[in-house]
Amino acid sequence: MTQATPFIVEMRDISKVYPNGVRANEHVNFAVRPREIHALVGENGAGKSTLMKILYGMERPSSGQIFVRGKPVSIHSPHEAIALGIGMVHQNFMLVPSFTIAENVVLGAEPARRRLLDYRAAVEITRQLSAQYGLEVDPEAPVEAVPVGMRQRVEILKALYRGADVLILDEPTAVLTPQETHELFAAIRQLVQSGKTVIFISHKLREVKAISDRVSVMRNARLVDTVNTAEVSEEQLARMMVGREVFLRVDKAPMRRGEPVLQVRDLEYVTEAGVEMLKGVSFNVYAGEILGVAGVEGNGQTELVEVIAGLRSAAAGQVRLCGVDITNAPPRRVRQAGVAHIPEDRLTNGVALSMSIAENLIVDRYERPPFTRGGLMQPAAVAEHAERLIDQFAIRAPDGDAPVASLSGGNMQKVVLARELSSSPKLLIAAQPTRGVDIGASEFIYEQLVRARDNGVAVLLVSADLSEVMSLADRIMVMKDGRITAVLDNTPDLTEEAIGYYMLGVKRMSAEEIAARA
Amino acid sequence: MESTVPLSFDRAAARKVVQAERRRSTLIDVGVTLATIFAALLMGFVVIALLGKDPVRAYEALLTGPLTRLGRTGRWLELATNLILVGLGVSIAFRARQFSLGGQGQMVAGAIVAALIAIYVPLPPLLGVLLPIAAAMATGFLLGLLPGAMKAYLNANEIVSTLMLNAIVLRLYDYILTFHLKPQGSETTRSLPVQPTAQLPTFYELLGVDLGRFNLGVVLVIVGAVGVWLLLERTPFGFAIRTIGANEKFARYGGIDTRRVIMLAFAAGGAVSALAGVHLLLGVHRRLFLDFVGNIGWDGITVALLARNNPLLVPLSGLFYAYLLVGGDRVEQQAQVGSELVQVIQAVIILLITAQVLGDWIRAWRARAQVEV
Repeated sequence: MTQATPFIVEMRDISKVYPNGVRANEHVNFAVRPREIHALVGENGAGKSTLMKILYGMERPSSGQIFVRGKPVSIHSPHEAIALGIGMVHQNFMLVPSFTIAENVVLGAEPARRRLLDYRAAVEITRQLSAQYGLEVDPEAPVEAVPVGMRQRVEILKALYRGADVLILDEPTAVLTPQETHELFAAIRQLVQSGKTVIFISHKLREVKAISDRVSVMRNARLVDTVNTAEVSEEQLARMMVGREVFLRVDKAPMRRGEPVLQVRDLEYVTEAGVEMLKGVSFNVYAGEILGVAGVEGNGQTELVEVIAGLRSAAAGQVRLCGVDITNAPPRRVRQAGVAHIPEDRLTNGVALSMSIAENLIVDRYERPPFTRGGLMQPAAVAEHAERLIDQFAIRAPDGDAPVASLSGGNMQKVVLARELSSSPKLLIAAQPTRGVDIGASEFIYEQLVRARDNGVAVLLVSADLSEVMSLADRIMVMKDGRITAVLDNTPDLTEEAIGYYMLGVKRMSAEEIAARA
Repeated sequence: MESTVPLSFDRAAARKVVQAERRRSTLIDVGVTLATIFAALLMGFVVIALLGKDPVRAYEALLTGPLTRLGRTGRWLELATNLILVGLGVSIAFRARQFSLGGQGQMVAGAIVAALIAIYVPLPPLLGVLLPIAAAMATGFLLGLLPGAMKAYLNANEIVSTLMLNAIVLRLYDYILTFHLKPQGSETTRSLPVQPTAQLPTFYELLGVDLGRFNLGVVLVIVGAVGVWLLLERTPFGFAIRTIGANEKFARYGGIDTRRVIMLAFAAGGAVSALAGVHLLLGVHRRLFLDFVGNIGWDGITVALLARNNPLLVPLSGLFYAYLLVGGDRVEQQAQVGSELVQVIQAVIILLITAQVLGDWIRAWRARAQVEV
């Protein structure tokens, strides 16, 4: 039964109830026109990923129907989705790191000659697809050796090679630098011009405004509305997503800067492979200020944070906290000196997923009273501590016994935040604090960072999101190739472009200028 | 990752849902374990029938064997005591996700050091038992400390180092026994018996109930299980061990001295495993001879895995596994089924339980059933 329809994909009255009772989708109607860029937005847990997993055959709907090109279909596996011309690029790439790009592109549908992989054909196929859609890759480079942006293009090429007409991109910009995001957007536009349809999942409204033709907004498992992007503002979209007014503007009291808390001098760091990642970095962070570190990712920010936190060893230089030398001290001593650290990769460093919230909240203080008395741990004190922080930080959890793995990304981040802020630090290091976190939680995290600053904590904020740095920081330090290229006061007339020149290394302050401001 | 917390959030309601879910999941775990054992027994039954043997008779022997005579019951309990002690020791390192396989060597080393005291040093009654026990634990501690330090500070693979250390200790044991402990002119390679004050009395000696060599060493099991549970769940050291086991990078980030804790986890495990050796010496054999520990060090690892490294479950899994071993001996004698086949059945049970296949199947089936309503 084929109907005349203006839609290439139509999902009608889709509901999905998980076995644990969570209703991830309720009566969702979602339709995509051919050759459009259709954004699907919503907070974490709003149900957008579930909806797309249903379309891609990874989940089965509890009820509802799917039509592709007007035909009713039932999609039982990604394999069947691909046969219908639907491809998906996941947030976590599914590539074989040691294989070359060409091998990854053809993996699973390899061109063969005498039952062996025809490697030259694979390279040729990759080169042609790459040129046709403007997705620049190096077919013969191993995936592990290329940057994240290129890996993502490989994923897209993979889907195209399998004949995808409709491409689902699941939060594609979450892992990209601003430059890579620009390149991706150009590629998406070229894909649409050559007849493809793109579904773009995101919660970054600025990007949605920039790239999409239409937007569907999801909230609490329901599809709130589908609108033409040109007809709505970012604020209107935000209100639809959250169901209330949101202000991502940060209101800050004037800075009351105190004594220097963190003093970094001539810091050098060399990786095990011998790459110099920090070259003579010197700066101070003062009590009561937020120093924002801007820069394209991979220019030494991660290493800087981890050397200060005691997780990596500096090759030379000095780190002092309130005058105490903590250079290359073990993490425990760094923490005792008064450093709190919200790590960049919280799933690897910031939490133990299988342990309870209560246990995660005491990892830095479990040996001290009231948690340990007379050599024995005190479960009542641990539980009480968890209850208090769950309330205070509005962590959405039934109780402290729930494993951290059961929480959403934003709530995991709140667990980390609750632990680090409640340690009453002198220096708070926040590395990519809102990465993968929804608007509501981001707002909360901003408030907490500003409150810490107002209470006289020195805050070192590292973020790849330039607008985040600009809305929070009192001073901005720019890093490029392991060096500080500029230190700027965050005055109202400072523009993203002005910082961008230093980020790209086009401009660079003189050593004297930096020394005077850092 | 989807949140399991309902989207519109009501904390009290969520708590109820989650607590009910936790209870249900515990029940499922228990049910699954029982079903797994049943399934494995069923498979063995079919295999024996296919081989033309009498499966009913074999199973009668397997399932009632340890209870048919007091002596066999005693044999079961005595074996369980050994397996539980090694299992408890092994579970400490396993909880820190360190695959220490040194149980066998730690038992043997503990036994030989304890034997030097128990055989040659006359001591007053209580001390006669306690001193060899303490010496064995200290020896096991050191024997755990060595591979622990090698892993923590030199990143030496613990599987290799503990296996190698086992080999060294076992050869050293044979050497010391043959050339130093065997009395002059003795026909068999065995030591003198331990002093009377060093013996752990059997229940026959205590109460006149003939449970074979089952002895007062069972106290070590109770103290050991509670002690290891306290250590893991109620001390800061145990918290550090569990945190490292859950996520070592996180532990380090949080300020835990991961190297020191890993090293000491190996050592603490060694001290507990050595108790099995001293139990064999003072309670079961009361002297040393060649191949003194048999397979206990290895079976103890299985027992720890079966109990998922939970010290309160180790006694249960130890009793179960020892029952299977003793019952298996009966099958051989009664039903003329070779010991290989008995081992196959045992292996299938262990495999199914450790792999938790059945549990996953049942969960998947439940999930499907609910979605398609």
